[in-house]
Amino acid sequence: MEWVRHLSAALAEPPEVVGGKAHGLALLHRLGVPVPAGVVVTTEACRAYLRAGVLPDGLGEELATAVETLGPSVSVRSGAAVSMPGMMDTILNLRPTPEVLDKALKSVFASWDTPRARTYRTLHGIPHDLGTAVIVQRMVFGDRDDHSGSGVAFSRNPDTGVDVPFGEVLFGHQGSDVVSGRSLTHPLHDLADREPLVWQGLLAALHRLEQHYRDACYVEFTFESGKLWLLQVRPGRFTGAAAVRLATDLVDERVIDRDTALLRVSPQHLRHVRTSRITPDANVIARGLGVCPGVASGRVAVTADEAVRMSADGPVVLVRPETSPDDIRGLGAATGIVTARGGPASHAAVVARSMGKPAVVGVADLVVGADSVMVGERVVGVGESITIDGTGGEVALGLPRIVTAAADPHLHRLLDWADEVSGDRSAREEAERLGAAQAVLRSRRSG
Amino acid sequence: MSANLLVLHALRCVGTTGLTRVASFTGMEESEVESELIDLAVAGLVTHHKGFGGWALTDSGRAADAAGTKAELESAGARPALTEAFDAFLVLNPELLDLCTAWQVRPVDGVTTINDHTDAVYDARVLALFTDLHARAVVVIAALAAAVPRFALYEPRLAFALARAQAGKLEHLADTIDSFHTVWAELHEDLLATLGIARWSG
Repeated sequence: MEWVRHLSAALAEPPEVVGGKAHGLALLHRLGVPVPAGVVVTTEACRAYLRAGVLPDGLGEELATAVETLGPSVSVRSGAAVSMPGMMDTILNLRPTPEVLDKALKSVFASWDTPRARTYRTLHGIPHDLGTAVIVQRMVFGDRDDHSGSGVAFSRNPDTGVDVPFGEVLFGHQGSDVVSGRSLTHPLHDLADREPLVWQGLLAALHRLEQHYRDACYVEFTFESGKLWLLQVRPGRFTGAAAVRLATDLVDERVIDRDTALLRVSPQHLRHVRTSRITPDANVIARGLGVCPGVASGRVAVTADEAVRMSADGPVVLVRPETSPDDIRGLGAATGIVTARGGPASHAAVVARSMGKPAVVGVADLVVGADSVMVGERVVGVGESITIDGTGGEVALGLPRIVTAAADPHLHRLLDWADEVSGDRSAREEAERLGAAQAVLRSRRSG
Repeated sequence: MSANLLVLHALRCVGTTGLTRVASFTGMEESEVESELIDLAVAGLVTHHKGFGGWALTDSGRAADAAGTKAELESAGARPALTEAFDAFLVLNPELLDLCTAWQVRPVDGVTTINDHTDAVYDARVLALFTDLHARAVVVIAALAAAVPRFALYEPRLAFALARAQAGKLEHLADTIDSFHTVWAELHEDLLATLGIARWSG
């Protein structure tokens, strides 16, 4: 075949040809983890389409033949060699007729070249001529019945690095509902009671993947009528304190050696160790996305007016569904902000960072009322104290203890190893100590 | 749109604010704005809070603004054209927010890190992308203004913020009260208000 490859254990081509997502799916096949049957259209086909404006000769026929066995309904997803989150098209639940597939392919290929995608690549130094691969897979339905659902999982906690699987699951829904934040998700561990076989299968898959990567991993999954399917995998990419905990734990588990652990953690991660965080024992009532680091405590205000008025008597945290220009002065008066909607590039995030105020956005189950806010079942009245962590995205009741990672025993261990390698035990910044050790290790490896 | 409705609408889009921002929004002199605001206050449509952010809409002011902008839109039969141009705005909006974010933070070894603006090459790249987006925004604003003429007021404000950034005052991209981002956010709010589209209220 010229343009299309079957997703299988034998698929050995690099991400530049089949995209990162298909490369990961081939790995899952090799590890014996269940993946819905599917095919991938290569990045070369995308480049040919973008050059000529028409699908290359033979692609339509090849694809029509390749998908014959996939069943009556397929998903069509983009999958480039580089990650461009949220920039490109995904089309679910298509009938795989030649006309429909042609149209879907063109739509995904074209989504590589939108002005926004081009801007993203220019910002991140990604070449414009790579193109994206396209994965066509048999649909698995997370909304099929009572024993179906979708979720995302890390093999360990990505906030702390602790060796406990962490993630979210949504019973009776498709995966797109998990990612969009439209529906209320459950903690991953709820699977253990409700779908013990799916849970066991997931734990086994995460374990195998960790052994393969010698690192934490992230997966997206769907279970259909009690049967688990994995749809995506990648290494965990932990940062900060979580990266430090993970690296030192993997040494204790004899998965990696100390030198590798030292090279796993970026000195850049340690520049943030003096940023305040709330302690893990805090009474966390909600989680969103931390978009401007730091901890802010204050009494809840739900309008800009209220924030301005209440700030005369002490610190205020502004809680809004999302922000409009009027909220700018409310945030000006507040010590921090929480919004129900929005991502890292929302108006709220941009404004919070312009003022250097801790911010948590995208708290999916947050409802802002006239004189209180509701998170799930819990009601927090205007004037009650909350604390937000703009790094980890936690919203906690009251005034929890605040720490910095500089006191973290795992960090001290790692830095002791670093000093041993560099032979320098003088008092320096954490990042500098790690950087010196990495320089020694790299010169050893290249020498 | 009459001067007093435009001043009223400025408070609707900007929020409670002082004379300077209303003047910037309307393109009017501050003294002229103040005189309109006093008339509007007498009519019960706005109030002034000393030391509390300045001039604010009252509930009846908010209703009067909604009725006024709706009448303007419907009498000119401009809704379809404005809706179409709004769709073009919505294509640019996420890209503009991506750019503001890229201006403020950048990933370093996978960690989102505050942009400390020590990398002039990176900052120049972001500024060039703002300039490129502005060229496309000019086209969209022309389409908005063809439907409802007062939207033309946004173009010189965005151009001014960009020109200041290009002249080296880079905080005018996303970090000041009259930044490119702030003007853009007011335009977004204005379109939602004019078309009567409620923000998510959950």
